[in-house]
Amino acid sequence: MQKIKRLLLVGIVISILFLSLIITVAAEMTAEEIINKRDNNEYFDTAQMEAEMIIVSGSRKIIKTMVTLTDKKNSLVEFTNPQDRETKFLKREDDLWMFFPDAEEIIKISGHMLNQGMMGSDFSYQDVMEADKLTDLYDFEIIGEEEIDGRPCYILEGIAREGVKVSYYRRVSWVDKERFIGLKEELYAQSGRILKETKANVIEEIEGRWVPTNSVMENKLRKDTYTEFTITQIKFNLEIPEETFTLQNLR
Amino acid sequence: MITKKYFNIIILSIIIFLLVSIPISAKVDIGGELAASLISIIDDQGNITVYPQQSLDLELFLPTLNNTQAKFEIYLFNNTMSGGFDYLIKKLYLKHKFDKLHLTLGRQPISWSFGSMLNPVDFTLGAMVMDEETGAKYQDAIEAYIPLNWNSSVLLVAAFPEASQYTKWGLRGRTMIEGYDLTLNYVREPEMDFMGTIIPASQRVGFTAKGDLGPIGIYGALGYYFKDNNDGDLAYLIGGDYSYFFEAGNKIYFQLEYLSMKEERLSSLLGSLAWLDNGMDSESNTNLLLTRTSYDINEFSAVSLFTISSLNDLSTIIMPNYSNQISNNLTFNCNFTFFSGKENTLFGPGLIGGIQEKPKIIIEAGFIYSF
Repeated sequence: MQKIKRLLLVGIVISILFLSLIITVAAEMTAEEIINKRDNNEYFDTAQMEAEMIIVSGSRKIIKTMVTLTDKKNSLVEFTNPQDRETKFLKREDDLWMFFPDAEEIIKISGHMLNQGMMGSDFSYQDVMEADKLTDLYDFEIIGEEEIDGRPCYILEGIAREGVKVSYYRRVSWVDKERFIGLKEELYAQSGRILKETKANVIEEIEGRWVPTNSVMENKLRKDTYTEFTITQIKFNLEIPEETFTLQNLR
Repeated sequence: MITKKYFNIIILSIIIFLLVSIPISAKVDIGGELAASLISIIDDQGNITVYPQQSLDLELFLPTLNNTQAKFEIYLFNNTMSGGFDYLIKKLYLKHKFDKLHLTLGRQPISWSFGSMLNPVDFTLGAMVMDEETGAKYQDAIEAYIPLNWNSSVLLVAAFPEASQYTKWGLRGRTMIEGYDLTLNYVREPEMDFMGTIIPASQRVGFTAKGDLGPIGIYGALGYYFKDNNDGDLAYLIGGDYSYFFEAGNKIYFQLEYLSMKEERLSSLLGSLAWLDNGMDSESNTNLLLTRTSYDINEFSAVSLFTISSLNDLSTIIMPNYSNQISNNLTFNCNFTFFSGKENTLFGPGLIGGIQEKPKIIIEAGFIYSF
C-alpha cells in the first residue's frame, strides 16, 4: 500500500513537473511562433466557403451572400443575393478584376479600390480576399496578456514590414493561448488612429482547425455601423481546378 | 441573308433547349428587377412633360449542364412612343466551354468596356454611356473566345444587326503586361439602313490600356476609323481615378476623363445625351471633358455627380444622382440631368430635327426592386 502511495506521489510530482514544463515552454513562445501557429490554424492551401455578410447601420441592415474560393495567393468571390447575383471578383496577387453580370464584361479595378468596403460592408476587398500569411506581412511582438470572454490570450502587436503593401500599418491581436486563433483584433492607420476592430463571436472546430464562423467588423471611424460575417459552410484543402483563378472562368 | 436564316435556326434550337432543360432541371431560378419611376422633362421654354416609366427585367438562372450554359433574359417596359408595353430580349443564348474555346450562340451582350465613362472603341459605340448600359450592346451573334493563359485571350464575334443584311465582324485580343490590362480590337461595320438612311460600311481599330500609377488608376484608348479614300481619323481618350479617405472613414471617389473624336461619331457614342444638328464643323475633333465624383454618405446611400463638358463650345451636362438602398431588395434612385450652354451648342438648347425642343432638365425618381 505504501509502495502504491509512493508511486502515486512520484507520478503526481512528475505530472506537475511535466505540466509546468509545458506551461513554461508555452509562456516562452516567441511572438513569431504564436503568429505562425495562428497562421497555420487560420491559413490554408485551399478553401471553399459559403458566407453571409450582414451590414448594419443604425436600425437598418442588409444581407449579402457569397461563395468564395481561395488558395495561397488568389481568391474568387461570387455574390449570390438577388441584388448582386453573379457579380464576381477575382484577386490575383495585387490585381483585382470584376465581372459585371449584365454586360458580361470583365474590368480591371484600380488598385486603390482594394481598400474600399466590399459591396458597402466594413470588410474591404483586401480583408475578404487577402490570402497572405500575416508573418509575411508584419513583424510581431508580444505586448501583453489578457482574457477575452474568459479565455486567456496573448496580445501581439504587428507592424507592417517595409516595402510590403498592407491595408493596415499596425494591428493588435488577441490570440487564444490554447486554440491559437485571433479572438479580437484592432487595426490602425500609420497615423496611429484606430480604423477597425474585429471580434470573433463563434469559433468552431472544422476539419481539425479552429475557425471563427461568426465575426464582427466594426468601423471605428463611423458611429453605429458594423458588419457581421458568418461562414455557413467551409471546406479546406480541396482540389481547385487550375483554371479557377483565371479571367476566362469569370465569364 | 443565308447567315441570318441559319442564325434564326440557332435561336429556335436554343428555345427548344431551354424548354427541354427547364423541366428536367430542379435548380432553375428566376430573378430580375422591377423598376418604377416618374420622369419629368422640362424644355427651354419651361414646358413640362411628366410620364411614368415601368419596367421588368426577368432572367432565368439555369444550371450549367456538361459545360453548356443557357441564358434567357427579357426586358419588358412601357413604351412612351406607342403608349403600350414593349419588350427587348437581352439574352437568349447557349454557351459551351470547350477546353480551348468558349462558343456563345444567340442574343448576347457584347461590351468591350475597360473602365472608362465613354468607350470610343467598343464593339458597338454607345453600348455603355456614363457607366450605364444601353440596349445597343445586345446583339444576335456568334462569339468564339479563345483563352491563351489566365489573363490573355482572343475573341472573334460575328454579329447580325437588325438594320443590315450583312454580318458585322469583331476581333479582340486581351493581355496583361506589367500590371496593365491591354486590349487591341478591330470592328468591321456593315452597311446599315436606319429607316431609309443608309450608313456606309466602315472599319475601325482600337487599343485600350488600364492599370495603376502609384495610388492613381489610369487608363487610355486610341481608335482609328478608316475612310474610303484611305484616309482616316483618330479618337483618343485618357483618364484616371482616385479614392480619398477622410479621417471620419468616409470616402470620396474621383474620375476624370478627356476624349477627342470626330463629332459625327459622338452621336452614337453619347446616345440620347447629345443631339448633333448644331451646325458645328464635323471635320474637326470635338473635345470632351468628363468627371465623376461619388461620395458614400453611409453604408446604404451615396451621392454622385457626373459632368460632360464640350471644350469646343463650353456646353455642359451636369448629372447629380442620389441612391439609397432601403432594404435587401429595394433601392431608391433619383437622377437629375441639366443641359447648359448657348443655343445650338453640343449640349445647349435648340431644336431636334428642326421641330422638337431639346430638353433642358430631366428628372427621374423611382424605385428598383430586385428579386
